[in-house]
Amino acid sequence: MKKYLKLVNFEFNRVVKLFIVLLGITLVVQVAGVIIKSKDYLNMANEKINEDLIPKAQFLTDYGQFSFLHIIRSLWFVGPIALCAAGVAFYIFLIWYRDWVGKNIFVYRLLMLPTTRFNIFFAKISNILIMTLGLVAFQLILLPLEAMVLKWMVPDEFRNDMGIEEMITSIPELNIIIPSSFVELILYYGAGLMAVSILFTAILMERSFKWKGIIAGVIYSAIAVIVFISPVLLQEFVLNSYFYPMELFVIEIVMAVIVLAASVWMSGFLLKKKVTV
Amino acid sequence: MIEVKEVEKKFGRKKILKDVSFTANKGEITCLIGINGVGKTTLLNAIMALTPINNGEILIDGEPVKEKTFEKISLIPDALTMIPNMTIEEAMEFMNDFYTSWNRERAEELLGFFRLNKNDRISSLSKGNTAKVNLLLGLALDVDYVLMDEPFSGIDMFSREEIANVFTSHLIENRGVIITTHEVNDIEHLIDKVVLLDDGMVTKEFDAEKAREDDGMSVIDVMREVYQG
Amino acid sequence: MKKYWKCTAIIAVIVFSIGTFYVNSAISADQNPEFVMKTESGDAKEIEPLVLEGNYQGDSSMNYVSKSLKITEDGTDYTNRSFLDRLIGSPTPVIKELQDEYHGFMRGKTPAVSLFFENNQRLAYANVEYKIGDNSLKTRDYTFDISLLNKEDGSTDSFTMKIPDGEELDHIFVEDVQIVDGELNIITENTVRNSDNIFNEKHVYTIDIENQEVKNHEAIHAPKGQENSQSEIQLIESEMSTTAHEKLLLLKTDRKIINDSESTRAEEINRELISYNLKTKDKGKISGDLNLNENEISSFDGSTVYLTKVDGQEHVITPFHLEDRQIGTAFRFQLSDKPNIKEPPMIRIKDGKLYATSQRMNSKIDGNVIVADLKTGETLYKGKLGIKDAEDEKDDYDLYINDMFVK
Repeated sequence: MKKYLKLVNFEFNRVVKLFIVLLGITLVVQVAGVIIKSKDYLNMANEKINEDLIPKAQFLTDYGQFSFLHIIRSLWFVGPIALCAAGVAFYIFLIWYRDWVGKNIFVYRLLMLPTTRFNIFFAKISNILIMTLGLVAFQLILLPLEAMVLKWMVPDEFRNDMGIEEMITSIPELNIIIPSSFVELILYYGAGLMAVSILFTAILMERSFKWKGIIAGVIYSAIAVIVFISPVLLQEFVLNSYFYPMELFVIEIVMAVIVLAASVWMSGFLLKKKVTV
Repeated sequence: MIEVKEVEKKFGRKKILKDVSFTANKGEITCLIGINGVGKTTLLNAIMALTPINNGEILIDGEPVKEKTFEKISLIPDALTMIPNMTIEEAMEFMNDFYTSWNRERAEELLGFFRLNKNDRISSLSKGNTAKVNLLLGLALDVDYVLMDEPFSGIDMFSREEIANVFTSHLIENRGVIITTHEVNDIEHLIDKVVLLDDGMVTKEFDAEKAREDDGMSVIDVMREVYQG
Repeated sequence: MKKYWKCTAIIAVIVFSIGTFYVNSAISADQNPEFVMKTESGDAKEIEPLVLEGNYQGDSSMNYVSKSLKITEDGTDYTNRSFLDRLIGSPTPVIKELQDEYHGFMRGKTPAVSLFFENNQRLAYANVEYKIGDNSLKTRDYTFDISLLNKEDGSTDSFTMKIPDGEELDHIFVEDVQIVDGELNIITENTVRNSDNIFNEKHVYTIDIENQEVKNHEAIHAPKGQENSQSEIQLIESEMSTTAHEKLLLLKTDRKIINDSESTRAEEINRELISYNLKTKDKGKISGDLNLNENEISSFDGSTVYLTKVDGQEHVITPFHLEDRQIGTAFRFQLSDKPNIKEPPMIRIKDGKLYATSQRMNSKIDGNVIVADLKTGETLYKGKLGIKDAEDEKDDYDLYINDMFVK
């Protein structure tokens, strides 16, 4: 356990720079987006009111107040989120492959640590989770800050304030990343963890058997996905909705746990018996 | 005792190791000699469970490799396996973190012995110094066995001397050492036992001392006899 | 410990930030006002079976977020609060009761009230199954999927049968299921495709349960193909129930198609009620002073049709007894002092009792609930929708009632 924590910390220190860069880009671009979008709106308001001589009230009914929605739906806001998602997706592969590249192949050291090799797997998957949740947590902190910037930028009468929850529920993409209930958070990120564990297994297959491993990895992933969705497929096409939704839900959770456990076991087996430096 | 029994290793269809058996004892320096590409590195990796073998068995003190084994056997590969942007101190800290067998005092001693600067980044080190750090990380562990893969290859003369000095020091005393090399000159006088590898097999396993005393043959003489005779 | 600060810090931030967010959202969910039905007069027992389904749109300018809720005499239940609620779905109370009571039988059955029939001996289910064609999206191979539960011995009888003349059907769906004299009647809406035209018709399939075969089937009403006219027929069902009745009631609406230079529109020219007796297969137009041009048909309980209309500020409910084709005593009520003509009240009639509620309430518009006995004309309950705690009172919100169930 202690060694696991040490490894988690060690792995985190290896990614911390990338992580900080992602946070930085998110902060800068999103805040810039708030400022630019607000300015755009205010400039338009100025133009309409002062040059086209539209009364203020008329302008507000025609163009609406400025709210966070204008920002949330812009590339300024969504772009950094997409970048972070891509960064994490990329790092899922990099977290393994970086140990095998270069002349200082670090995987020697990792495999020679006097601890169970399961810990290597757990430490890496924990890091993906920490990174992901870290980005989510940061976005949750950023939102109220950005709302504050918006308040400074746009006068009261032109502004329509939104709560954090409302911002999040207003676009579905954001609502997937930050679901509106804690149970969903666990379910979504649990599913994500399962997906990452499948990918890790496929990567370790490639590392163990090279070309053949890629094929094995693809087959393993396909089987894992099929096993996971098999209850839904059966329900839909064979069983004619035999299960009540609640039962299907429980079965799905059981399937997810099975797939996760199989991936962990398989990865452990590969690390112990099949992987090669 | 490290026992390598009938080990077979394939890369694809090519058999790198066909049937390799030998033993290496504690307190002795065993030298694996063979030309490049004969599978010496693979053999060391196999002993450390870093690569699977297709057949045979490897036992360390009568047991197959498990997680605890890494507290009593260390491998010094031909390249330093640490993260390049760590400093030497950080690398030592890392080792101290994970190995109970890490010996701080000895690490400090080695640091002085090799005249290395703690705060240097690994990526900025010269070849010779990198090899020394590599040696430091492997030797500062209080382990019974040390495996070294080509410790002298591609290193300047002065560094070689320094490294060779390690073998005569207390740093090696009482440990079992397996060392691989394709040129035996630098350490000929140090080694106790020689295992000649060729074409994936052990062609000869002999006691260097005995050969010297009984037959008046140096290691190179024996090798000449095996390869050319 | 110094070594671990980065990792520790980020985990602390994660826990703090995500924790705060969900704790806050849980608190704000609790801040949704609790709506209750406040009794003004009458017996609060009368609203026990009542379930109002609706939406709450919160204060401030956050009109984007609307929360669905259920109001019963116990208070308010915000349904989208939990993910599981949404996942499980919320079947109507009738279906929910059936699922609770006949858990095994209800398995795999489409949760729609119209597909079920229940009497003391039996619970019956019928639905249409079909395949999507291999090389076209055209559906084919229509079959009835029928299940019968014998309540006395708990035995289930399930079978499927080919729908006669299924080749001609473009689409078919079940509108009602009835057992009369031991025979299963499935009332469907069929879209029939002939050689040259498509039309909708109401069809009754009578199935011999013993022999599992279609004994008889006929169209109750098939429109005559006339140009410039359109005829629509609609089954009047007793509200949200699975109860038995021998007679079906259908509303036929004829429309004239008017082709203007700019558009095509339909103008209603005639409405009439048609009854169909499942036992005798007799059908006929119901004569009588129904005044269908003014009245809306709002409910039918198997023997009585309830007609509603707005008369000034009052709503008038007129019962029409099918047996003797007589108009009963009209019941007049006024839901509020300032009736909202744009949003007429929602009405349900069950077991001779009228349940009516406003469709919208906010701080300016009152929401009222009335329960009345239509036989005696007596108002049994009168109440107001309101926020339970006075301190939760808000200025700017809207409550919409979209549906009403009587359990």
